[in-house]
Amino acid sequence: MPASRELSIRGTPIHLMQDGAGPALLFLHGAGGAARWLPFQERLAESFNVYFPSHPGHGGSPAAEWIEHISDLAFHYLDLLDELRLDRIHLVGASFGGWIAAEMATMVSHRLASLVLIDPVGIRVDGWIYPFLFGMDIPEIVATIFHNPMAALALAPPDQSIDTLALQYRQGAALARVGWNPYLYNPLLRRRLGRIASPTLLCWGAHDRLAPLAPCGETWAKAIPGARLQVFDESGHVPHLEEADVVANAVAEFCRREGAAR
Amino acid sequence: MKFYYFHLMPYIIEHDEPSSWVTLSNRHYDPVVGHTLYNQYLDQFEHAEKLGWDGLCVNEHHQNCYGTMPSPNVMAAMLVRRTARAKIAILGNGLPLRENPLRIAEEIAMLDVASGGRIISGFVRGISAEYFSTGVNPTHSRERFYEAAELILRAWTEEGPFPFDGRFYRFHYVNPWPRPLQKPHPPVWCPSQGSSETVEWAAQRRFPYLMVFTPIKRIAQIYGEYREACERNGYRASRYQLTVNVPVVVAESDAKARELAEKHVMWVFNTGLRMHPPFWRPPGYMTEASLRRLLANPPVLPSDLTFEQADRDGYLIYGSPATVRDKLRVFADELQAGILCTAMNGGTHERTLELMQLFAEEVMPHFREDAGVDETAGVGR
Repeated sequence: MPASRELSIRGTPIHLMQDGAGPALLFLHGAGGAARWLPFQERLAESFNVYFPSHPGHGGSPAAEWIEHISDLAFHYLDLLDELRLDRIHLVGASFGGWIAAEMATMVSHRLASLVLIDPVGIRVDGWIYPFLFGMDIPEIVATIFHNPMAALALAPPDQSIDTLALQYRQGAALARVGWNPYLYNPLLRRRLGRIASPTLLCWGAHDRLAPLAPCGETWAKAIPGARLQVFDESGHVPHLEEADVVANAVAEFCRREGAAR
Repeated sequence: MKFYYFHLMPYIIEHDEPSSWVTLSNRHYDPVVGHTLYNQYLDQFEHAEKLGWDGLCVNEHHQNCYGTMPSPNVMAAMLVRRTARAKIAILGNGLPLRENPLRIAEEIAMLDVASGGRIISGFVRGISAEYFSTGVNPTHSRERFYEAAELILRAWTEEGPFPFDGRFYRFHYVNPWPRPLQKPHPPVWCPSQGSSETVEWAAQRRFPYLMVFTPIKRIAQIYGEYREACERNGYRASRYQLTVNVPVVVAESDAKARELAEKHVMWVFNTGLRMHPPFWRPPGYMTEASLRRLLANPPVLPSDLTFEQADRDGYLIYGSPATVRDKLRVFADELQAGILCTAMNGGTHERTLELMQLFAEEVMPHFREDAGVDETAGVGR
């Protein structure tokens, strides 16, 4: 069981889960993934000290009115590193969390022992428009995100109470504040990816329908110098949920190897 | 009581799509049919003035068959030159939906000057679905609304040029020509769905409050909140600050009226307001408090509303002239509403004109104790 605590990052209260021993690894979750400590995190915690915060407005972290732009979230997590006195980390981000991680990497890649992005969004990709999840009902969202719809059960809400529905609404609003328009990308980010100097692994679900391997994964692989692209054949947009063990092993191996090489 | 003729300018079709908004393909829109409809609808407005209606209401909606007036100011401009007496109420312009709200200040001022001061300027946020059609971030909706309203009011009332530096709107030179004719500015109305934040905002500024397509019990509740808010702000609400918008069908007999209402009014709810569920609830459009209030007492989706429910809960008024008079008394006497906005639809243009005439001759005259009163004096500014 991971430890759970509340802390204040430069005045912004957040909820943080933590477990494991070894080098520090910061995991940034995607939409709907807040506070879901699942087999993927469990496996990583066997080799790393895994920090898993909820973004402001998601999970147990209250909304923060000052967050207006994706870079605000990137700075928020740089503040978190300072608060936790983590000088150098492995940074792993999935989907929306991958976007934040990429923004951070363009700022401080020297502090990253490694960078792992799992089906990230965040850049404008020529020839692709991300399907508009805000306009979809739940079955449409599941069909867009998951190759194996059963994997969606891991993110299913516990009930349909007013509190649960209000939390989902708050999470949607927190995402929309930074990602409604431009939808799920920062027009400035793609060019900046060229600044990333840390070893980078791109994990991609072969059947991602939100950000497909071609052209999205391929664009990322070209934009980040030396990035390695690894494809997971049985996954859609969330391979860390759909093939948790395989992806966790690949991530752990990459981080161990790159961490050791430096 | 004052009577305003309200039109959505619907494009009435039956279809099997999940949503009449945002995604209903515009291949369903035949411009040749649209030409006839626009002209019939404008004729109805002109006819309403001749029959004695006090005001004519247009409104803004985007990408749907429910109402084909994406630019209400365009329709208002046509009415300005074809009418002479009636107020023209634009209910309203969706302030947050505009990238440049000064265009609203300019367009309303143009209409006000050209019409000789007959314009009422509704300020709205735009309903949920508009945020899908326009791309405006719904989490900014409320703040953009307040900021745009402040900018427009200042542009109307302060001598220009002056700079404006907001979060969403920034100008070095605010100095619109023309200035509005009405002083200090055209009356502002707030059509809304009853969020407590908007009620307070409108009451503070003496802006009349308008409930659209709302069951009567809820209207009574929100009116109560509005009156309380006015008291808190140190004055008593005038009855002309309280407007109801309710579809009315008046015909020769109750049975005949019911038949028309079941078909034509229910189209508005069941088809016109049929919406893919996510379009009702864009993220951050509501405050969490408003959302919780809504979830605690979830309203019937218009597409699920049956005629029996609509009738029972007072979503509409129908009947013979005598029945309609009785039902209207509730609005006039119990709710103390000073203005009634009514849409009418008899199924065909000719039948609609007949209903309008029947209403004007058999109903309106019974509610004219205030014939000499200017309903816009001292309110809305």
